[in-house]
Amino acid sequence: MSEGTPQPVASTPQPLPQRLRLVPGGGWGAALATLAAAGMAFLAMLSLVAGLAAADLAATWQRDLQGSATVRLSAPDATSLDRVMDVLRRTDGVAAARALAAEDQAALLAPWLGEGAALSDLPIPQLIDVTLAGAGPDVDRLAAALEAASPGTVYDDHGAWRGPLLEAAAAIRNLAVAAVALIAGAAAGITALAARASLAGNAEIVRVVRLIGGRDSFIVRAFVRPLVWRTGLGAGAGAILGAVVLAALPKAGAALGLTIAPGLGSLFSFAAAVAGAGAIIGWAAAQLAVRAALRELP
Amino acid sequence: MIHLQQVSFGYDGREILSAVEAEIAAGSFHFLTGPSGAGKTTLLKLLYLEALPQGGKLSLFGEDPVTAGSDARMQLRRRIGIVFQDFRLLDHLSVAENVTLPLIVHGRDPAKNAGDVADLIRWVGLSHRADAPPRALSAGEKQRAAIARAVITSPDLIIADEPTGNVDAEMGMRILRLLVELNRLGKTVLIATHDLGLIRSARSMVTARILRLADGRLTAGGAEL
Repeated sequence: MSEGTPQPVASTPQPLPQRLRLVPGGGWGAALATLAAAGMAFLAMLSLVAGLAAADLAATWQRDLQGSATVRLSAPDATSLDRVMDVLRRTDGVAAARALAAEDQAALLAPWLGEGAALSDLPIPQLIDVTLAGAGPDVDRLAAALEAASPGTVYDDHGAWRGPLLEAAAAIRNLAVAAVALIAGAAAGITALAARASLAGNAEIVRVVRLIGGRDSFIVRAFVRPLVWRTGLGAGAGAILGAVVLAALPKAGAALGLTIAPGLGSLFSFAAAVAGAGAIIGWAAAQLAVRAALRELP
Repeated sequence: MIHLQQVSFGYDGREILSAVEAEIAAGSFHFLTGPSGAGKTTLLKLLYLEALPQGGKLSLFGEDPVTAGSDARMQLRRRIGIVFQDFRLLDHLSVAENVTLPLIVHGRDPAKNAGDVADLIRWVGLSHRADAPPRALSAGEKQRAAIARAVITSPDLIIADEPTGNVDAEMGMRILRLLVELNRLGKTVLIATHDLGLIRSARSMVTARILRLADGRLTAGGAEL
């Protein structure tokens, strides 16, 4: 008692906790919340990096294809190639033009015609690889000049297949974003369920704390703190595991000529961000769930 | 301190308390008695604000808890110490931690009150059990721990619901003596009990008044013992 005691006694202060563990820890619910957070963080890492890889791939394709074009002479004769090359050299927006050598064209056709095919017997169009400068040439004017130089010559800015490729890359990126959003939503739902289960299992604690004058904000803090700790811990473990797995992927990716994962430093930065996001999502979901559940309790 | 005017309360259309009139002065010692099902616990719930009156007017420390906001009701609750028949100690905390809990809930520094906690635990005779969990205590020890928890914040009003209901007669007397001592320190004490032996025993210790409930109505509104 603060105002004294009926019988004077020697005071022997004992160490007392500054902060009690009001909500008992442990149990399958706590383990499940931690495990679920770890799984979600692992999946989020994979989705995030897949999305970034897709975005990176799309940007690379865009950059490479935007900077080049192909001119195709359908039936080249002795002088038409020179006339076309002359047009290209004189056109603003064309940095360089290189007529593919016969062996280069043979290499391009090898998958279809086989090695060592006698191309000289076939009417093979002449391809010219054009490197563009700046915003590139005035396509209509160049097409007209090429047609005049050699009728039937086609200027291809790769737009016909660049578009679908970019759309595919964008779709992969959007899918990854949707997957991350779904994972975040699922993580929030699992945390909210864990919070409600914790509150339902400890309704007596809530009742006692309210009866001794505890504010609901005190109860919310007491219930949310361990959940945030658990989800943060689980998310951290899952994100680090994801980073480790992704760090091993470039070897496989290199064999396919793909950049699957960013550098190790970036991966662990992503892992830290995912773990932090996991803790924030856990905090927000637990706050909302506990506050809503407290309103329902008598 | 407490005024009840025509207070009524019911569950599911059934009236438990009807037109209850009573006045409890500061520093007084009251027994609330009556047969089982008379509405004693319901009346106590109204007084410690676990429920609010559905009719009539209740004034607690000069305030009407029905019209007061939730924050004001919480402040009123902090002026009341409650001793439950079933103790309601938190099993995962030790006796000392249970006694400390109201200090933490009220935002007070437990370290600065460590002496009070130790003194109080000693006063209720549980120094040797301070670190024990409630499940390791006897019913009498649990009730004394519950009394210590109820009074650690020095509330103005102490409400005890059948505090001797789960203990033997000797322990019942010991608990009664603790409550009488608290009354001598100036606390208002209200004990709900149907133990007439306990009430008779109190005669020699304290000037107490009786509130008798029967069928949801007060049939004795503060007569002296």
